[in-house]
Amino acid sequence: MTADALYQEAIVRLAREARGAGRLEAPDGSATLDNPLCGDRVTVEVRLRGSRIEALAHQVRGCILCEAAASLLCRAAMGGTGGDAREARRSLTELLCSGARPPAGAWEDLAAFAPVGSVPSRHGCVLLPFDALGEAVARAKG
Amino acid sequence: MRREVLEQLRRDVEAKRAVVLVTDLDTAEARLVYPFGDGAGVPPALLAAAREAAERDQSRKVEGAGAGLFLRVFNPPVRVLIVGAVHIAQSLARMVQLAGYDVLVVDPRRSFATGERFGDVPLTAEWPDEVVARVGLDRRSAVVTMTHDPKIDDPALAAALRSEAFYVGALGSKKTQEARRERLRKAGFSDADLSRIHGPVGLPIGSVSTGEIAVSILSQLVECLRRPRASPRAGA
Repeated sequence: MTADALYQEAIVRLAREARGAGRLEAPDGSATLDNPLCGDRVTVEVRLRGSRIEALAHQVRGCILCEAAASLLCRAAMGGTGGDAREARRSLTELLCSGARPPAGAWEDLAAFAPVGSVPSRHGCVLLPFDALGEAVARAKG
Repeated sequence: MRREVLEQLRRDVEAKRAVVLVTDLDTAEARLVYPFGDGAGVPPALLAAAREAAERDQSRKVEGAGAGLFLRVFNPPVRVLIVGAVHIAQSLARMVQLAGYDVLVVDPRRSFATGERFGDVPLTAEWPDEVVARVGLDRRSAVVTMTHDPKIDDPALAAALRSEAFYVGALGSKKTQEARRERLRKAGFSDADLSRIHGPVGLPIGSVSTGEIAVSILSQLVECLRRPRASPRAGA
């Protein structure tokens, strides 16, 4: 099996897991962003305890890449801070643009998105949930 | 006409419900008959005549005791949902309006669904199945998908197939159509359901330009509306 096929399987698995799919009862902040080029739309809701993300949910209308990214995000961002998620977004951008492997730890599964690097038009699909989380956290902090 | 009949008629028209106003030409007594309702309290012959008049969209007189009855048809407007704010949709939407039908262009991709591209054509940047849930589809509705993106077209087609829409069309080559049918089969639609999809879309008139393709689609749509039994099913 080629590495690409393996990673693509990982993307499909992440999307199917749909971790965090749904809504929160009492979010501190939420944000809906869409991609005007492909129609993908993500809503992220967060509840914070201090500066840490205590609960996280998402609703995705979009492609499998967007679903997979939202699913991974909901698993990995839980318990961390908004700053951690921002840092993860930077790792993701570096992975997509230069192929740099993400650091070990909560976010190492970002490596699943390596095959997307060669398709610049789809970068936005993977980044959209991260941007929505950033916006939701900003709003939660008021 | 009694006031309550008139008021009910107004409510039916507002609710986009097909209704036939039946007037006794001797007494001028008027009543409302719902051609696609359960027919409770309506003589079967009158219901059948009302249904035929509504399907043909033609008011007419029918024989009865004395001078007979006049059946005046109030059909909801024909509505065409165009999924995909693409180049062909720009032509098709305007032609649909010229034909006297309501039109709504739907595309969640905001870069396509812009006022600059569509002028005063009704337009919304939502997902098609969400739009259908909001506005509904009935036997006077048509759905045409044109995005070429299964993520957007397929939910629209699924919603159309679950409705009584008189016309369902999907832009795309024969090869695309086969892949689409396969996906919709997996989603639980039968071959009979899928036979409602006209795809490749439009009458085969050799269309080349976007305007010509729009003409072929609109012609097929009109045929399905006006000669439903004459127009062959897609794939037939």
